Amino acid sequence: MSEFFHQYFDFHIMGAHFSEVLEGFFKNLLLFAIVVVLALVWGLVLALIRQLPGKKLMPLRGLTIAYIDVLRAIPLLIIILLISGGVPYLEFIPKDIRIPNWFGQPDPFWFGVLALTLVYGAYMAEVYRAGIEAVQSGQMEAARSLGMSHSQAMRHVIVPQAVTKIPAPMLNEMISLLKDTTLVSVVALGESVLVGREVLAETFNSSAVMLAGLMFLVITLPAARLVDKLIARNQSKIARGSHIEVG
Amino acid sequence: MISKSRLTAFAAVLLVGVVSVVAAGCGSSSDDTGSTGASGGGEVLTVGSDIPYPPFEQGKSGSYTGFDIDLMEAIAGKIGRTAEFQDTSFETIFRDVAQGKFDAVISAATITPEREKAVAFSNPYYLSEQAVLVKEGSDIKSLEDLSGTTVGVQQGTTGQELAKEEADASEVRPYPEGPDAVNALKAGTVEAVIIDAPVAANAVEKSGGIEIAEKVPTEEEYGIALAQDETELLDEINQGLKEVQEDGTYTKIYEKWFKLEPPKAIFSASEAAE
Repeated sequence: MSEFFHQYFDFHIMGAHFSEVLEGFFKNLLLFAIVVVLALVWGLVLALIRQLPGKKLMPLRGLTIAYIDVLRAIPLLIIILLISGGVPYLEFIPKDIRIPNWFGQPDPFWFGVLALTLVYGAYMAEVYRAGIEAVQSGQMEAARSLGMSHSQAMRHVIVPQAVTKIPAPMLNEMISLLKDTTLVSVVALGESVLVGREVLAETFNSSAVMLAGLMFLVITLPAARLVDKLIARNQSKIARGSHIEVG
Repeated sequence: MISKSRLTAFAAVLLVGVVSVVAAGCGSSSDDTGSTGASGGGEVLTVGSDIPYPPFEQGKSGSYTGFDIDLMEAIAGKIGRTAEFQDTSFETIFRDVAQGKFDAVISAATITPEREKAVAFSNPYYLSEQAVLVKEGSDIKSLEDLSGTTVGVQQGTTGQELAKEEADASEVRPYPEGPDAVNALKAGTVEAVIIDAPVAANAVEKSGGIEIAEKVPTEEEYGIALAQDETELLDEINQGLKEVQEDGTYTKIYEKWFKLEPPKAIFSASEAAE
């Protein structure tokens, strides 16, 4: 037992490598911050395309559904390996884009941004879709009968109501996203887990990896509590029968 | 319902049965301390080795092969003995040779001061080298050229230390496995990879489009271990090693297993102690 604690909770090793691991953790946070914005936008775009009406747009809807299904069905790790190993071979793309080195971040960082955005865009599209489908169909019909086009109805009536229904599941996706930023370590991005494993290679002790885990806890635990609060608030609203204000 | 649960139970029993048979099979085969006869004839020289550790030692009981095995057989031939190999665990290998369980140990063992307290080592028979791996036609020709470049390594290896301390790289990227680093090199996201020379040679042979720019010797030297009181046998083995090196057998065995020329330093290393 004491061997276990020594291997994973050696506070001396945690203290000695705290600043390196924290620096790695900031990389996780930066990756998260960029991807969360891109994936929220990309997910909404996918969800809206999926809701487009009319027979003519069937192929586009089908393509979007296929994208969402496939990207959710392949392990994220494989997507990261595929993008980081594959994009550099696409020689029709200029080298500065194919092997990006922007704003002081190396290419594995941007490959991580791309992979996480593509996959989490698909996950978030499903969350948006649940929100959109939760808005009563009469809302769309009423908006259309007032002379709004489909896109106007979406913009002014449906989406504003849909987004009030999804903060809790969206926050859950964000918690997953933050944790999944560690997967980019497989393409040698120096984030917290990779730094922790470097210390492991040097000291044969896993405490620095554990330290990275603790840093995630500091963010993800309060976020999980927040999810519960949002769910409770939403349910009490339904119980009170209050309607949602549409701006 | 009853028949279904019976079926499940039957399947479970079957599974347990199969697993235990397989486990027993594995157990008995690894317990084997089979031996391999070799050229030379004469008195048997029992040699302990932790097998497999390719390409140094590998193969099945009775037909072990590898760089260490071939070299040991050649040395035994020179001193009129027949090498007989015993598979053993590396953890206890030095204790066992010190206690006389084997006459000698050849097991890709690095000569270290700690080990020298327990056993005597022959002259070095192998120098561990790192290789700077680059894309074919790269401008990088040596370790010095790595200044300001992005270098891929395998996490926790000698290559990583070398990249950090010797090469003035602008970025060192530690990949979980060697092949990941080689893939990054081929994709062009790193400009060079520093990795064990035999691994690099294998990658060049199997993958193409890449080449070894420079080989860099490290401090690690492998030796044959003997009990400390076996001074006579130690002299014989050192003499045998020298003869094997002089008549070209060593180079032949080295090239067979590592697809590389042996480093020049190994020949002087084994003479230095003369």
